[in-house]
Amino acid sequence: MTILDNRPAVLTEPAHAGVPAATGSQERPAPAPAPAPAPAQPGTLTRDPHERLSALFDAGSLRLLLPADDSGTMAGTGLVDGLPVVAFASDPRVQGGAMGSAGCQHIVAAYDHAVASSAPIIGLWHSGGARLAEGVESLHAVGTVFAAMTRASGKVPQISVVLGAAAGGAAYGPALTDLVILSEQGRIFVTGPDVVRSVTGEDVDMESLGGPEPHSRRSGVVHIVTASDAEALGKARELVSLLGRQAPGADGQAAAAPAETDLSALLPESPRRAYDVRPLITGLLDEPGLELHPRWAPNIVTTLGRLRGQTVGVIANNPLRLGGCLDSTSAEKAARFVRMCDAFGVPLVVIVDVPGYLPGVGQEWDGVVRRGAKLLHAFAEASVPRVTLITRKSYGGAFIAMNSRALGATKVFAWPDAVLGVMGAVAAVRILKRRQLAAVPAEERHQLETELAAEHEKIAGGLPRAVDLGVIDEVVDPATTRQAIADAIAAAPGRRGQHGNIPL
Amino acid sequence: MTQVRAEMVANVWKVVAAEGDTVADGDTLVILESMKMEIPVIAEESGTLTQLAVAEGDVVQEGDLIAVIE
Repeated sequence: MTILDNRPAVLTEPAHAGVPAATGSQERPAPAPAPAPAPAQPGTLTRDPHERLSALFDAGSLRLLLPADDSGTMAGTGLVDGLPVVAFASDPRVQGGAMGSAGCQHIVAAYDHAVASSAPIIGLWHSGGARLAEGVESLHAVGTVFAAMTRASGKVPQISVVLGAAAGGAAYGPALTDLVILSEQGRIFVTGPDVVRSVTGEDVDMESLGGPEPHSRRSGVVHIVTASDAEALGKARELVSLLGRQAPGADGQAAAAPAETDLSALLPESPRRAYDVRPLITGLLDEPGLELHPRWAPNIVTTLGRLRGQTVGVIANNPLRLGGCLDSTSAEKAARFVRMCDAFGVPLVVIVDVPGYLPGVGQEWDGVVRRGAKLLHAFAEASVPRVTLITRKSYGGAFIAMNSRALGATKVFAWPDAVLGVMGAVAAVRILKRRQLAAVPAEERHQLETELAAEHEKIAGGLPRAVDLGVIDEVVDPATTRQAIADAIAAAPGRRGQHGNIPL
Repeated sequence: MTQVRAEMVANVWKVVAAEGDTVADGDTLVILESMKMEIPVIAEESGTLTQLAVAEGDVVQEGDLIAVIE
């Protein structure tokens, strides 16, 4: 790994001291640390870590774990809607928030405390990476932070909020955690624009290199992008509540479910027509959930929300994008989500409408076999209750991958019009009956194809056969689907996986 | 300027937008046909459609240019 090879050069970038209010002019040296600049945008906090942590927690609940010092890091405990949470924050006013030996000890102490008390932990990042002046000592210290994060992985939820530049070691910190939120002024990269320019000749600014746009659409590093610091902290609080307080009613929310509606009304008339699956997810949940990675691999949707008050993770193919096909990136995105939910005991709801894996040279060379296998592994390994609903169609390898009976689904439901199989019946007979079809005159071929397809459907496929085999547990009425899924989750033993959450 | 490119091999089934149109993030530009599915190609940025590089009946390969939004 060359994470830190370029530290000296990166640290010479003045912009790493990032001024929250400055936009676009990242080459300008940061002014001397001045508290609460007047032109700050609404929702932009000052750079004081104490103030940032106070804003994160319920009013007046912040208690520092170690006395404040000049280490460039501050750690404390506090409450989020009454739930005990541990948090730490970089101090960008001290050497650009760079991580030295003492500062890293704050973070490791925060981690030890979080694991010992089974509390979620939130990091507020604004740091140029390892402290240049401390040399190898700071590299070692940053390494101990990574090790602490990995030890805590899968044990307590870890959330990172990136409020300013997070470079080098400070980029890999958030990347090791479960969920990463990027505020408008947040930037994440291993090496900054100056190094990129000198090495590769690419001329790029901090925002284009590691801002909200590249990380929300291209890299998949960031789960949630927000328009302000206040919104970023708000999302962190929401995530902590969803993961830290999962049981129905535990957060005081009434399980006042919306009335059952016919969710199939959200599907288009034509089975060929694409549609956005997200309204269907919203209809299934008590209230709109929190979608992770909304713009990265959008052909699969991963959303945390509540169903009858219980936190659930929803995974859904989205036919609006790529026809809902699984591909290498979406399989990886879903696999990581499944493993995170499993580690924290969050039941899964899998909504299936998938034509298959995406064909193509690009996909094969991109490792769709290797990366698609992660999704198979993630589902097959998961111990949490996990319920599948096939709404419209499910074909081929994707049928297996989307939490099938064979992979150990708690329940597999299907709507009455759902179709499933290795591939569509017509496509299947074109292969299976190739010689027979070739033998008839061209004008009769279509007729024969239709007949053979109907026959094939009877023998090989379709919903009735899947129910006979026990591959589908039950055909459910779209109007009572919400209840059927919630009941199935409630009836299943509440287990959780015993594993870390490697950033797949 | 944003280039909209094909994400998969497909037939161009329907062209919905026209050059010169003002499009918003989320608007459908073209509908492709692949895997027996109608697959909309969506603008991911608001702006003016300055170029439409495909016509109905065309076959696009993964990565082919479909439209340019400025």
